[in-house]
Amino acid sequence: MLQFEIKKVFSKFKNKIAMFLLLIILIATSILTMNRVEYLDADGNASSGITAAKNLSAEQNKWAGYLTEDVFVNVIKEKAQINNSKEALSDDIQEQNKAYAKTQGISGITGLINNAFSDWRDYNYFAVNNVSEEEVKQVYEKRISSLKEYLNSGEETFTDAQKDFLIQRYEDLKTPFYYEYTEGWSALLQNISTFILMLALVIGFFVSGIFSEEFQTKADSIFFSTKLGRNKAIVSKVGAGLVITTVLYVVFMLLYTAIVLLALGADGADCPIQLDLWRSAYNITFFQAYLLIVAGGYVGTLFAAVISMIVSATARSTATAVIVPFMILCAFPFLSRIITLPGICSFFPDQLLEVYLSIKDFELVELGQRVMSVVTIIIPVYMAACLLLLPILYRVYKKSQIK
Amino acid sequence: MKLELNNLTKKFGDFTAVDHMNLAMSSGVYGLLGVNGAGKTTLMRMLCTLLKPTSGSIICNGKDILKMDGEYRKLLGYLPQDFGFYPEFTVQDYLLYIAAIKGLRPTVAKRRVKELIPQVGLTKAAGKKMKKLSGGMKRRAGIAQAMLNDPKILILDEPTAGLDPNERIRFRNLISELSEERLVLLSTHIVSDIEYIANEIWLMKDGKLMHNGTADEIINSMPETVWECLVEKNMVSDFIKKYKISNMKTEPQGVNLRIISQEKPLPNAKRTEASLEDVFLYYFGEKAGDENAAI
Repeated sequence: MLQFEIKKVFSKFKNKIAMFLLLIILIATSILTMNRVEYLDADGNASSGITAAKNLSAEQNKWAGYLTEDVFVNVIKEKAQINNSKEALSDDIQEQNKAYAKTQGISGITGLINNAFSDWRDYNYFAVNNVSEEEVKQVYEKRISSLKEYLNSGEETFTDAQKDFLIQRYEDLKTPFYYEYTEGWSALLQNISTFILMLALVIGFFVSGIFSEEFQTKADSIFFSTKLGRNKAIVSKVGAGLVITTVLYVVFMLLYTAIVLLALGADGADCPIQLDLWRSAYNITFFQAYLLIVAGGYVGTLFAAVISMIVSATARSTATAVIVPFMILCAFPFLSRIITLPGICSFFPDQLLEVYLSIKDFELVELGQRVMSVVTIIIPVYMAACLLLLPILYRVYKKSQIK
Repeated sequence: MKLELNNLTKKFGDFTAVDHMNLAMSSGVYGLLGVNGAGKTTLMRMLCTLLKPTSGSIICNGKDILKMDGEYRKLLGYLPQDFGFYPEFTVQDYLLYIAAIKGLRPTVAKRRVKELIPQVGLTKAAGKKMKKLSGGMKRRAGIAQAMLNDPKILILDEPTAGLDPNERIRFRNLISELSEERLVLLSTHIVSDIEYIANEIWLMKDGKLMHNGTADEIINSMPETVWECLVEKNMVSDFIKKYKISNMKTEPQGVNLRIISQEKPLPNAKRTEASLEDVFLYYFGEKAGDENAAI
């Protein structure tokens, strides 16, 4: 039964078009992601994509290793040397590009130093040029002290428990960081939310007709008059929705990941996410961040798909059901922009597709005495909601009458 | 196999589609005859558990069919009036899918599909998509799906509607063949279909059962007589106003009328044997059924 339900979905012309669209989205997003990595060669000529990634990887991996105090000192020395080179001092842009090209190997490290010595809500591109050898040894300590200054500034609205939680997280972060080329993961994570959103919308389109089209094709009378039409056949419909959602999500996510990482390189999976998101309170690696984002995206996609199927079963209209994922995943972010509901917007289902932003920012929730990051709450909560909604979907469809 | 309707009623808002019906059926072919809107389809949908009665019950071998749930539907084969299907499926896939939701094991399903496809004359079309079939072929696929589980109760709602005369005769014969040792309830407003194959006929009007019995019993129940007479063309409209006319045939000498009337309409009128169509006209009138056609 399950295979016939899946066949019903994929035999439709409109769904074949949707599958083609999904492939186009995959290719387009992969190309855009690959082009995020840029490189300047020794002559100051720019390139992007696969070749750029290869060259940048070679440059940055020369500095691969733990970012100890000595490394930071060497980096600012190297940076100072480049800054004083005749190319850097030249008025000619091409010459300046040549100087910049020499900084690419240490750009990840100079970025950390800039972050550490910038104001909390700012990024000073030139901070690295003004830091002394003694000061630069305090990069990790500076991260914690900057947080404390920010939390005591009165510019934020965290409770004492939340402040303690953040400071504890910062202090728990293992240092020194291991540094290597991470641009492949970085580019992947920066574009992944957009890809997940499009994937979720197309998956919603696929599953929106599973229930309603029995009514629209008038096949409902025969379906519900069969022995299993009000029990196992409905289970197989629900199963088809879950299988389609899961398989499409996993396959396309793997394809996207494989294309990007094969093209840009998969080095740096075990490096801390703070190399890219300096102020993140999540003490995780790039790979763990990827898993968290993908998990959140899956739950968000599943939630939108389940709601779409419920609407499909109750409204008996595919057109109405198709709108649901748009409402859940696109209207909620719009709502959160026009209405001010502090804290509430973080729990909207669209946040499941924006885990990257949640990792970047401080989104906390306090349950009793316990402080947690929003992501660690919304993923299990929406997963549980999906599981609770499935029996409702089953019962709604089981009770259908054909008038 | 015994099906009983006990005070079966279905209301849609203020409209009563089926009104306190009491009946019993066992094996044989039952013809449900009524104009559009008489409540035939609603009755059949309740028999197929597609609609819940507003009141009353349907009992199968002593048990309420709604409580029997899947056990009752296991006995059921149904061809609805608006036969819907999955347009992109081939005939074979369609039948295999319906067999699956009828609870047939895959090996049994394959065997049944293999048996039924030639039986309904769809051998050449087995690999064709359902959407590519002609109206008659779709109906044949419809009857094949209804027969997949070798049902003890076969419910056919307007099975010959929209078919050309040849297809209709073929289809009627097919139903006759398939009706052995089962309870078949056949709904139609095409009188000749019922006349040929039904053992018992139910006349239904405004949600109620008007008469039931064999074709002869129903015909004999009509209190009026059928006459045939030849009239001049300019007199036809007067006759139409005065009598129920069940047939008109224009001939060189005038118009041959078939009139239902207690009194002899003309001195030269000849009394003739009544048919089921005459009875249909007598009970339902010529314009009956223009409203609530989908009920």
